[in-house]
Amino acid sequence: MAYHSFLLEPISCHAWNKDRTQLAICPNNHEVHIYKKAGEKWNKVHELKEHNGQVTGIDWAPESNRIVTCGTDRNAYVWTLKGNVWKPTLVILRINRAARCVKWSPKENKFAVGSGSRVISICYFEQENDWWVCKHIKKPIRSTVLSLDWHPNNVLLAAGACDFKCRIFSAYIKEVEERPSPTPWGSKMPFGELMFESSSSCGWVHSICFSESGNRVAWVGHDSTVCLWDANKKMAVASLSVETLPLLAVTFITENSLVAAGHDCYPMLFTYDESQGSLTFGGKLEVPKQSSQRGLTARERFQNLDKKASTETNNVMLETLHKNSISQISVIAGGKAKCTQFCTTGMDGGLSIWDIKSLESALKDLKIK
Amino acid sequence: MLQAFHTALRNSPLNTKNQAIKERAQGVVLKVLTSFKSSEIEQAVNSLDRNGIDLLMKYVYKGFEKPTENSSAILLQWHEKALAVGGLGSIVRVLTARKTV
Repeated sequence: MAYHSFLLEPISCHAWNKDRTQLAICPNNHEVHIYKKAGEKWNKVHELKEHNGQVTGIDWAPESNRIVTCGTDRNAYVWTLKGNVWKPTLVILRINRAARCVKWSPKENKFAVGSGSRVISICYFEQENDWWVCKHIKKPIRSTVLSLDWHPNNVLLAAGACDFKCRIFSAYIKEVEERPSPTPWGSKMPFGELMFESSSSCGWVHSICFSESGNRVAWVGHDSTVCLWDANKKMAVASLSVETLPLLAVTFITENSLVAAGHDCYPMLFTYDESQGSLTFGGKLEVPKQSSQRGLTARERFQNLDKKASTETNNVMLETLHKNSISQISVIAGGKAKCTQFCTTGMDGGLSIWDIKSLESALKDLKIK
Repeated sequence: MLQAFHTALRNSPLNTKNQAIKERAQGVVLKVLTSFKSSEIEQAVNSLDRNGIDLLMKYVYKGFEKPTENSSAILLQWHEKALAVGGLGSIVRVLTARKTV
């Protein structure tokens, strides 16, 4: 479990390049910094300064090596590497509120931006005009779109919004792709078609993720719940009310297991049982640290009892790796079907890389199906 | 005692907009909660399922809003026991719930 502290400020968002040697992060300001790994250390190699507002989303396309960033200045930029410099291209999103999240599609011919103007912008490159064009998905989104994830077929897009719902839309653009084949989510997929909408839970949907096959989608809400949708089970939703503070990020690590993290500063494992259609809590993914527990003297015990009505010590320092909420999880190695490594960044300005094998051996009753 | 507890929590008026009904229900639940002995609270809490714990937390917080003579002390004990079972998540769900008790 490697932990590297980049800054003292929160890391707003991060993205890895294809071979995981470079990392683009936004250090809570208008810029994007790209760091290159050199042994155990990270060196800053590029600074991308074009946005006028905080950068809220970064995504790095692995094959075409392009970075798309979006920010609170209602713009998105597509960066291409020319020589040794990243050159930006402005994309006009036609939104009048901040952009919140951005994701390249699996084939990297389009990207989706979720924004506070209750709209998802799907942008694709038009060759004749040499310009990025965007189309909007408006209905029936009633509030800010907080998170997006693409289905592997490059057409379906899952969106989690602040109106407490998770929806799956079709983002089929006939100019850049052929008609998609039917999926368990539906067969007719014109642009903007709502394939599926979840019933209201009570929390903003912070993060949403498709599984590797695209047949399942999982999301986490601000009311401390994790929900999973299985298209093969005729849209039955499995949801679990978690016993901890709300989770902010979720990702699949196998078809049946999810890792989620949030305000409790440690990642947690959840397992989906397909036969029962239920989600269960798999365990805290936290490496136990050897903390020296000095015994309490009798005097301290009475003082505690008097002041706090309890006889235990309360540790002031968090024992977890991250010292503040974790805001984003990304899979580094193995894909979403057989993930072997994932990384988390948080509001403590640190990044940690988690290795599944060593977690499995360190925490003995962890079972990742 | 346990039966009164379960009956009071069943069929709670979550979906109604009628404030009078909600207040009557709150009054009933509060009466049941305050008439429990401290030693019996844990047993009652353990007999609830996940949704029941969330509902109980909602009533406890509603009871905190209008404190009477002795209610706060016993409500705090209920809160402590429900927290042990439901965790911080149950409190978050009280705060984020759109349908109040």
